[in-house]
Amino acid sequence: MRPFREVWQSTIFTKWVMAITGLLIVGFLLGHLSGNMLMFLGKEHMNEYGVELRSLLHGAGIWVVRLGLVVIFVLHILSALKLSGRIRKARPQRYAKVTPQESTLAGRTMLLSGLLLLFYLLYHLAHFTWGIVHTDFYAHNVGYEYTLANGHVVPDVYKMVVNSFQQPLISVLYLLAMVFTGMHMNHAIGSALQTLGLTNHRLVPVLRKAGVGLSIIIAAGFSAVPISILIGIVK
Amino acid sequence: MNLRLHIWRQAGPSAEGSLKAYDVNNVSEHMSFLEMLDVLNEDLIGKGESPVAFDHDCREGICGSCGMVVNGVPHGPERKTTVCQLHMRKFKDGDEIYIEPWRASAFPVTRDLVVDRAAFDRIIQKGGFVSVNTGNAQDGNAIPIAKTDADRAMDAAACIGCGACVAACPNASAMLFVAAKIGHLAALPQGQAERDSRARDMVLQMDAEGFGSCTNHYECEAACPKGISVEFIARMNRDFVNASLKG
Repeated sequence: MRPFREVWQSTIFTKWVMAITGLLIVGFLLGHLSGNMLMFLGKEHMNEYGVELRSLLHGAGIWVVRLGLVVIFVLHILSALKLSGRIRKARPQRYAKVTPQESTLAGRTMLLSGLLLLFYLLYHLAHFTWGIVHTDFYAHNVGYEYTLANGHVVPDVYKMVVNSFQQPLISVLYLLAMVFTGMHMNHAIGSALQTLGLTNHRLVPVLRKAGVGLSIIIAAGFSAVPISILIGIVK
Repeated sequence: MNLRLHIWRQAGPSAEGSLKAYDVNNVSEHMSFLEMLDVLNEDLIGKGESPVAFDHDCREGICGSCGMVVNGVPHGPERKTTVCQLHMRKFKDGDEIYIEPWRASAFPVTRDLVVDRAAFDRIIQKGGFVSVNTGNAQDGNAIPIAKTDADRAMDAAACIGCGACVAACPNASAMLFVAAKIGHLAALPQGQAERDSRARDMVLQMDAEGFGSCTNHYECEAACPKGISVEFIARMNRDFVNASLKG
């Protein structure tokens, strides 16, 4: 028997970690997206959701999810760095001429889009979770409050989102990030299925297309909120 | 037709290389790509210059010796065709053609367009075989093999080990080659006894040789002169993890 260390350091094992954590992130994004869609159902739903999210399992739920997400993201990023370092060394002398046959721009720029998304993620957390950028719009700072139908007074998350995205610069930053999210997902989903070893002849072509479709749904879905606020449909 | 070639010239493994331009005139459209290079070489020898070194053997597309990157595509613009079977009718008068060796740190350039592919041999030595006791040859029909299994094994065994998959991969990964070799034997009953150790040992040797890791661009399948499917890579991914979990 080989020591597990050898296997653990192999490229294929690292790719499995990458694929599994990546698919978990896709799952998280779908959950996040469904929450965002409450913006279209109005103030009451959005603010109620905001409070419920924070009080799940007596407030422990959100911390379990946050901890899980940190672990997932750290593993995903570490795997990416490990593999990309290897790739850089694998072809020191570049070709004078390259003519791509099958690969896509999205696929070839995964590292770049991934790094940009990491910066975006930190910015996004600083904006809506930590309240350290755009502090003028952070509900807890400026005392946006909303009284739910059941009489509870809660932070007005809805107003925070609307006021933020009414600033064109903020909206453009978010929309730009969603372009990179779409590109990253475009290659990611089909790629993860291949790495995990899916070979079913009827299923694989369908799932690859579904992966591309899902990437468009995710990018377009998240973009819908700032766009609707910017053009005044949601206010 | 008249062509302008830009060919990678490198005197030796540690020498500095560079692209050099050559004009080749009166090229017949019926020539193979290698015959066109033969004409250039005759011309260079006549002028007292050193000919362009390139690997070749059977020149009928089955041995896996030849290979060069032609205008950014391994084995040139025609799919499922080795460069020796590529004909000049695929080009037109006045074309500029860039000719470069396979580029990968695991395939060091020996001279000009010749690279050292011994890394593939070392991967094969780790498990690209089945252990069989010596003695009389077994009856061909003693082990029944389902048609679908035999077909799959044959599809993988079509790999000629030319290295175009590595050359085409944006990451210089050897996954398609290794997957074909593992997938070939994993499809047959004779390959089952050593299936786990084969998958583990060959993949770890592939890593040790310094090939890049796969990011599923599928450039390898497009470049493969034998059209080996990337499905074998998915199978290998599964086989490797399966074998590793068994310890």
